[in-house]
Parts: sequence; structure tokens; C-alpha cells
Amino acid sequence: MSLQLTCPNCGVRPVWEFHYGGPVKNRPTQDASAEEWTSYIYHKPNPRGDQKEWWYHRSACKLWFLAERNTQSNTVHATRRFGAEESK
Amino acid sequence: MSDHGSTEGHSATHGVQFTFDGQIVRAQPGQTFAGALHNADIHVLSRSFKYHRPRGLFCVTGRCPNCMCSVNGEPNVRICTRTPQANDVVKPQNAWPSVRFDIMSIFDKMHRLLPVGFYYKSMHKPRFMWPIFESVIRRIAGLGEVDRSNGGSGHYDKLNLFTDVAVVGGGLAGLNAAHAAAEAGADVILIDDQPRLGGHVQHDAGSIDAHFLAVRDQVASHPRIQTFSSSTAFGLYEENYVAVQQGNRMIRIRAQQTVVAAGGWERPYVFENNDLPGVLLASGAQRLIGQQGCHLDGPIVIVTDQPIGYRLADQLKLKGMHVAALVDLHDQPQGSIEGLRVLAGQTIQSASGKSHVTGAAIVAHRGGATQHIPCRWIIQAIGFTPATSLLYQSGCKLKYNAELDQHHVTEHAQGVHSAGAVNGYHEPLVCVKDGTRAGLAAANALGLLTAEHSSRLTQLEREIAQSVRECKPAANYISDSKSKKKFVCICEDVTEKDLCDAIDEGYANIETLKRYSTISMGPCQGKMCQSASIAICARHKGIDIEAVGTTTSRPPEQPIPLGVLAGQAPHFSLTRRTAMHYWHEEAGARFLDAGTWKRPERYTDPHDEYQAVRKGVGLIDVSTLGKIELRGPDVIKFLEFVYPNRFANLGIGKVRYGAICDEAGILLDDGMICRLDDERFYLSTSTGNADAIDSWFRWWLTARPQWDVSMTNLSTALSGMNLAGPHSRDVLRRVCTGDVSNEALRYPSVKLLDVAGVPAIILRIGFVGELGFEIHVPSQYGLHVWNALMEAGKDFDIKPFGVEAQRRLRLDKKHLLPGVDSDALSNMYDADLPWIVKLDKEDFIGRWSLKRIKERGPKQKLVGFKLEGTTVPDEASLIVKQGSLVGRVTSVRYSPAAGSIVGLAWVSIDQSKNGDVIDIRHAGQSLKAVVQDDPFYDVAGERLNS
Repeated sequence: MSLQLTCPNCGVRPVWEFHYGGPVKNRPTQDASAEEWTSYIYHKPNPRGDQKEWWYHRSACKLWFLAERNTQSNTVHATRRFGAEESK
Repeated sequence: MSDHGSTEGHSATHGVQFTFDGQIVRAQPGQTFAGALHNADIHVLSRSFKYHRPRGLFCVTGRCPNCMCSVNGEPNVRICTRTPQANDVVKPQNAWPSVRFDIMSIFDKMHRLLPVGFYYKSMHKPRFMWPIFESVIRRIAGLGEVDRSNGGSGHYDKLNLFTDVAVVGGGLAGLNAAHAAAEAGADVILIDDQPRLGGHVQHDAGSIDAHFLAVRDQVASHPRIQTFSSSTAFGLYEENYVAVQQGNRMIRIRAQQTVVAAGGWERPYVFENNDLPGVLLASGAQRLIGQQGCHLDGPIVIVTDQPIGYRLADQLKLKGMHVAALVDLHDQPQGSIEGLRVLAGQTIQSASGKSHVTGAAIVAHRGGATQHIPCRWIIQAIGFTPATSLLYQSGCKLKYNAELDQHHVTEHAQGVHSAGAVNGYHEPLVCVKDGTRAGLAAANALGLLTAEHSSRLTQLEREIAQSVRECKPAANYISDSKSKKKFVCICEDVTEKDLCDAIDEGYANIETLKRYSTISMGPCQGKMCQSASIAICARHKGIDIEAVGTTTSRPPEQPIPLGVLAGQAPHFSLTRRTAMHYWHEEAGARFLDAGTWKRPERYTDPHDEYQAVRKGVGLIDVSTLGKIELRGPDVIKFLEFVYPNRFANLGIGKVRYGAICDEAGILLDDGMICRLDDERFYLSTSTGNADAIDSWFRWWLTARPQWDVSMTNLSTALSGMNLAGPHSRDVLRRVCTGDVSNEALRYPSVKLLDVAGVPAIILRIGFVGELGFEIHVPSQYGLHVWNALMEAGKDFDIKPFGVEAQRRLRLDKKHLLPGVDSDALSNMYDADLPWIVKLDKEDFIGRWSLKRIKERGPKQKLVGFKLEGTTVPDEASLIVKQGSLVGRVTSVRYSPAAGSIVGLAWVSIDQSKNGDVIDIRHAGQSLKAVVQDDPFYDVAGERLNS
């Protein structure tokens, strides 16, 4: 892995400054079904292709942000702050 | 042309002396070990891996394993590319008593007993013998030995560089690519694995001398080109990250664009005894003659299928060497030279000789009588396998092209270009054009090209497309004979017959064939054998080469010392020291690593430290704990969500023990949570989890932007020390102006007071089960406050205590240590923390899982136990019941307070009740222990509240 990520605070940095936080998932409510909860806790979608995921700039500004990455080619299409508009 | 290399870089006017296998050898200035040894008529340099056959110079480019020796204790040095220093000690490897007479060469006569994959087929029965077999095999086989006497071989470091264009390969194509890109305005780094830039062409007679020399000079002096020679690019990773080894240094280059112009690896021809010293690759011979000033005495036979063989013959003759015959594999000779005996349509069947070539057996393709030609040297020139490893690694798509007889890029990875021989161009003039094209293309991708450059690029692309790839190797890798000693892989001694046997045994896929036969797994990493092994596989299975495929190319492309990857370990790993670290050091502390921190493990005897805390007073440095301050109107909401505990009812100035779990209900960490004010909380985490909890909190706060909470990590901003013991209040009173009486500061609570004149957060908490105060102060004053407390404690015989005493003290109270007494399967209920979990809260992390765990009921539990007797079982000792494994010990110590051995253990639920007897296995013994619900010390908690 030698890809680079663009931290919304710090700019382009090598991947080893970051910590991978897994795919973006919606946390179920407490009354959700067992399937939804077990899927949320234990299952990883692991797609071959694009995935929206969390990254943490561990070695620098400590920002958690979102990245859209192709898991096959490791191409990062975009990064953004949580809550910021999705890029088109 | 071939001569200009021999005088460059030779600054010294006289040579140096070194010893080889005890013999003194003199090297001329600029000569490598190999050249000097050749001149000294020493030709057996090593013994082969399996059969211990004599081996000598072969590729002379630092790729094949034949010249690997130990130099001054450094193992596996390819001495053909290394220049000697005065008094270097070179020792051959894998030979005893000497490389000329190696007792183990008996294996060469025993090849019947050592079939392909013999280590899979034999020696594993009877099973108990394997360790003995293994140690014998490891001694007999293998390569050099690491010299452990000087604790490693030197200083390793790393260099990080950034550039517009990285060019791998300093041959014709690479030089022109670097030059073109730099001229277009790009910053360029050029990497070449040979001591001198220029590649093969500088040793081969050609027609572009003047141009070549001009470009090489321009590249060397160009202000925008940085050159690294004797440097191997061993990995090309995503986004043009190039990993390079230069001696003991690793260079990591982040390039915008990369041009791979790595050229090719010359292919060996496979015939009987093709590994004898005296058999050389054409480029190797050219290097010996051109670069090393060596002379090949005696008759020479050249085996070739292309013009380069004829050029070589011409070169040798001009130098006054005797070419006895040129064997041309084609029926139609590929050239002609006056006075040269050409044997067209013929092939070499075998080389004869014992420790050096004495003759060659030549036979016509169509059969007929074998003619024996006495000779001392057999030089093979049957073309190059393109060095495509880096292209594969970078993600380029390659496909076998039957017409070119090579794998060829069909789709380039982002920002990666290829040029020269890797594209199938071998003609020097075309390589110049292709290199220039690639350099301009890289510059174009960076948006640097002027209109003039752009039209030049278009023109070059057109010209190259029209040029004929004249060099078409004919896949003549293997001579047609039934011999058993035709070596395909000289690294691992794998013969053609071994490969055929392995395929017959079912290892027909190229990847399984590789693993079973170990072909291409030796030091050359397939550079010498890959083409031939694929060809043999195709032929034996009766399929096309394309259908065979190739093995996967992985970094490193060339073996590199592990030190290069590791770097200088202490320099690259973080070490954290607390503000009181040097006080501990002076006090004679023995340190242990707690994550990146150094913590005093003990100062003197942990037993004395323990007793000081129980009977008097002790002080421990807890600065390494994680410390987080949270402020804002929604802090309670946040804490109630991330902890299973309740905090809404925590009064200002109160402290509560909290534990954190994940969504699966698994215990992550614990610590103290203090409410300093209405909207201001201060909490601690354990040392090892400080960073993880910090990032965990930040993640939830990011994902819940509606919560108005601000978080500050004070882990290193504040130093912490825990003052504990019956006399701790007496000591604190002497340095603290505020009221710390039991009435003003009850257990468990918190107060902001000055200690030794420094504003401090004082936590009245249990920690080690005694009256105690944890004092957090700004780190600048950590040592000052520590000294003040130690001074104030003198009258009470205060003692500093370390982590070992702390563990004993805490174990008395059955306090668990997350990560030691719990693991990734320990949920809050099983870890005996049910009182923390408030399922009546609407929502918190882990609630859904914990609810189900509670309904299901526990299956195992963390319990305390007391053990009679004096044997302390190891931590991680197993607990058994009727022969089955039912648990394990996680912590165990002798407790002076309990007067017996006490500990914590995970046990099955049916053995977890107070008074249950568990059976701990230790060193073959069975130790009976009794489960105990109560802590082992101060059950009523009177000490804490005193």
C-alpha cells in the first residue's frame, strides 16, 4: 500500500500517516432487527470496486474524514469532511 | 567502443590486495573482485546449493548466484559488481573444507537420492526425527551465514525523495528518457543498478558511440537530473512509489511519473553441464573484457542465434582471443566474419570438464554425429528476457507476444511508462528513440511540453510504430538431449528433468511448479530461469507459452538485506519518557516498555515497594495514562453514549470508575471519570489504550456533529503521580495548602488544588487499594511536584514504586487490567463488570449486544482465585476439568496481604462460584485453587475510605 490520501486539513499525504476506519455504515436504532445489528457489527461489505470509507489522520491533525476509494485499484476518487457535500 | 569503460572511474593508480579463501589476490584499480580473481586464474568461486557443484563467473552483472561470497563477514555479496577495499577478506560459501575441494560434492553423485521435492517426500517420518534432519539440511544446504559476532553489519538509513519523473535503468533508453524529460523541464531521478551508467550497450560494439557518450555526459551533468548508480529499484508501488536499495541505504522516491527502462536479463541456454565454470553469458564476457580488462585464455566457443553473437566474436578476435567456433542455432547464419568457423544449424549438447570447461559437444539439430571441440570457454548469446518485474508490480497489464517471444505491456498503470528492451526494442537506434519518447511522454503527462516538444513526441511515436523489431529470439532455450545435468535454475540446482518429473507428478501449473521444484525461488528470483522454465513447462505439456502464464512478480525484485528495510530501529521507533524519567533512572529504576512509553518496572525489591504502600506511603509515576478533557453542554449525553455507565447523576467534584466497550459488548478499556464542573469532565484511560480511546472518541464526535462537545487530549500535557498508603494524606498535607481531610475530599472525589505551588487536579481514588491521591499537574512541573512529594515523605520513609509492585497491589483488590486480564472475546458481563452496564439507558455503544449477552447468560467468567502452596503458576497456565481445557490464568502473584498466591483466571461458568475448586496445570503439575468472590485485601474497603 503506497497510495496517497488528501486530508481535508493537511493535503496530500502518504497512506501510512492514516488509519483505516472501515466502510461507512449506518448505525441501527436499538429496536432494529437482529439481522441489521449483526450485520452492522460483524459484516464487512468488502466490495470489489468503489467504497465510501472512514480514514483517520492519525500521525498529524487527528481528523476523521471520508474517502471514496476503489478497493481494486486503490484509486481514491475524493476525500471530504463528514457532513460536507458529496462531490459529483 | 568497448574500451572506454575500462579507464573511467579509476582514480587510484595502484590496486589493492585482498584474500580469497586465504589466498592473497591483487586487484587492479577499478577492478571488481571478480575481475581480479579471473586474472589470478581463480575460477571456482562457489559451490551450488544442493549438489555442491563447482560454480564460477556467469552473468557478471550481479544477478546470478554463482559469485556470492562473504566479504568481511557480510554474507551473500555478489563479488562480480563489488570493488575490493584493501585487505578485504573474501570467503566462499557453502563449501568445506575449501571451494576447490568440497566434501559435500558427493551429493553430485547422489542425485538419484535427491529427486525434485525430496524434502516433501522424505525425512518427515518418523516425525520425531525431523528436527534432526532439519538441522543437518540447514547446515549442508543454503547460502551464506550471518556473522553474529559484531552484532549485525553496520548502519542502515533511509532517504526520502520527491521528483517529477523517476527513470529506472541507465541504459540507452533510460539515459535518453531522463535527458528528454529533464530538457522538457521535469526534475528527474535516474536509478541504475550498475556501478557505471550505460547499460549493456557500452560493452557491445555498436554504431552510436558519439551519441551515447554525449547523452551520458549530459545526463551526468544535467542540473535537473539526480543520478543514483549501484542502486537497485526493487519495488514499484502504487502512485509511483519507487523503493531503491543503495548499499546500506533505502531510498524511497515518490515520483509523479515513472519510466521503466530496466532492459533485460540475458537468457542462459540449457544444455548438459551448462553450469561449469567457463560457461559465460555474452554480456558477462563483454563486461569482463571491456570493463575489467580481462583476457579469455584458450579457445572459445560461442553459441548464439542472433547478431550479437557475431559482434561478440568480432570483439574477441580484435582483442586477440581465439574463437574456435561459433555455433549458430539457425540454419541460415545470422552473420559472417572473415576467418570465423561458423557451425550453422547446430547446437551445443554438453560441456565437458571437471572444475572448468575443457570442451564442447556440438551436434546438428537434425541429428548426426557429435563433434567435440576442445575449448576453455563457452559463451552463450541467445537474447534477453525483458526485465518486466517492476511493470508487473506497478499494475501494468502484460501479455505474451509470440512474435517477439516476450511478455509485453498491453496497458500501462497510471503514470507508468516503459521504454527500450522491456518494450521489445533491442536495436540501439530504436532504443534511443523509444527512450526519448517515454521521457517526453512523462513530461507531457505533467503538462510540461512545448508545441515543439509535442510535435517531436508525435513524430517519435510514429517512427517507433513503423520500426521493425529486428531482434526476434527464437525461443531456443533448451538443447535437445536426455541428460540429467541440464540446469535450468542455477540458484536452487533445478534441472530440466526435475521440472519434467514435477509436471508428471501433477505440479503442472506454473505457480505450483515453482513452489514444488523451488525454481525461480533462489537469489536471482527467476532472472536466469524464468523464460526457460516456462518454455519447458509449455513443451512438456504440449501447450503454448502464452497458455502457461507466468509466476507473479513481487517485490523485492532483487534480494536486499533486511537491515535496509528495517533501517536503524531505535531511530525510527518512537520512545516516550515522562517528565520524571531521569529521576527514575538516577534512582536505579529498571524500565519496561508500556506501548511507546518507558515505565519504571521496579527500583529495588518490589516486595519492599509493596510493603511501603501497604504500611507507610509510596509514590508511582502514572504520567503515561491517557488524559482527556471534555467540555460543552452535551458532554453528559456523549459520555452516557460511549460508556455503559451512568454519568447524569455524577455530582460535581465526584469521580466514577468507568469501562468502555465496543458495539459487540467487548471490554476495550477502563479509567476514572471526573466531573470538574457542570459542563467540564476530565477522564483517564489506560496507558496502552490512550491513543485508541482518543481516536474512538474523536470518531464518535465526528459522526455525531449535533453534539456540542469539545475534546482536548492532555495525555502528555499533564504528568500524573499516585501517592498511596496510610500516610499519604500526611505527606500531601505538607505540600498542599488546600483541605485534603477525609471530610473535604472523600473517596471517590476530585478537587482542583495547588500542590507545591502548582495548580493540580487531585483525585481521591483507590488505585492500589489504600488511602490514595492521584495528582495531575502540568508536565513542566511534574518533576518539581514529584521532588516535593518525595521530600515531604522523607519522615514517613516514602518509597517510589514501580509497575511490578503496582500489579501486586492491584491484584490484591482483584482489579482487572484490560488487555492482560481481558481479550477480544471478553464482554462486560463475563469480565465481571455487570454493575457498570446500565441497560435501562436508552442507547449506548454495546447496549444491543450486552442485552442479548445478559439474556443468554454467561458462558465463562473472570474470577479471582487463591492458591495453597508455594508454586506460582505461569501466567497463561491452563485450567483443566476432566481432561478438557476450560480456562486460563491471566494474572498471578504472591500476595503478602492474603498470605498466599492469588490471581485472576478465566473459567467456565460451572466453576465460577465462590468456593469452586479449579485445577491449574503448571509444568506438568496439577495445582488446586479456590475461586473467591471477595477481594484478597480490605474486603470492606475501610482503607479506601480512611
